Amino acid sequence: MSEVEESKITAEHRAMIGIKSDPIEVTPKAEDASRMRDLLGDKDPRYSDDTGIAPPYALAMLEPGLPPELSPRVLSSGILTQTEWKFMKPIQINETLSATTQVISIRDRLGGRYGYSVLVTFQTDYLDENGDAVAASLRTINQFDRGDE
Amino acid sequence: MSELYYEDITVDDELPPLERTPTEDQAIEFFGRDNPTNPAFGDAEAGRRMGFGGALVPGLLKLSWISHYVGAWAGSESNLISVRVAFRRPDIAGNPLTLSGRVVDKRQEDGINIVELEVVTLADGQPSVRGNVQVEIPGRTS
Repeated sequence: MSEVEESKITAEHRAMIGIKSDPIEVTPKAEDASRMRDLLGDKDPRYSDDTGIAPPYALAMLEPGLPPELSPRVLSSGILTQTEWKFMKPIQINETLSATTQVISIRDRLGGRYGYSVLVTFQTDYLDENGDAVAASLRTINQFDRGDE
Repeated sequence: MSELYYEDITVDDELPPLERTPTEDQAIEFFGRDNPTNPAFGDAEAGRRMGFGGALVPGLLKLSWISHYVGAWAGSESNLISVRVAFRRPDIAGNPLTLSGRVVDKRQEDGINIVELEVVTLADGQPSVRGNVQVEIPGRTS
């Protein structure tokens, strides 16, 4: 390593991997789906107001914040660098979903615009009232230290 | 929407490019509330203070554009399976983005027709977001 001789990821940070947050309830709303459809110019009849189905990108409105007690903070700043959405079932308007978030990986990264940085990946699983998976999202935050700090 | 069938798709098929010019207002419209996670969304001054050239375009907005871009190409009988993106560079409101895509694989798994695409957003000819999308496409006989 050039400036960083060893990883700044501690055993305490790694111990946070796999710890699930308490589930929170999220509900896709018709007004959100409608506003997003209009903004994107989406004319797909499957997602029109009378179908009760939200477009897949309505998941953007459901993404819960990352629980601080479960978010390893290795470096001071962070930026979203990767996102993945997976869809198992259509997202229903007004259907209450249970969202649970956990850290699934923490790893060092060398090089790039930030020099030494740390990649933390969170996964949020969305389950319906029957416990069936509806969707999942993975978000990777690139943590780095600002040069002026 | 015109319908697309699995049998009609060939690896290396290209999606028609689509140009979008994000505005400062769209971040607020998209989230439906002011500056949900980052003050640089929808606020050019905040973006400049943070070292960017203006208001940042939210990553989730670009992800949604990509999802819709592929969905519109695939047709109303398709199902989006997954979309994975890497944000390579920040995009600034007012700068046009061009979405383009290409089929990189097609296969059948457990009786499902899966088509995989690479999608990219270009700003000034440089990739700002790169993505991979998997979509289920109906067959003519299914």
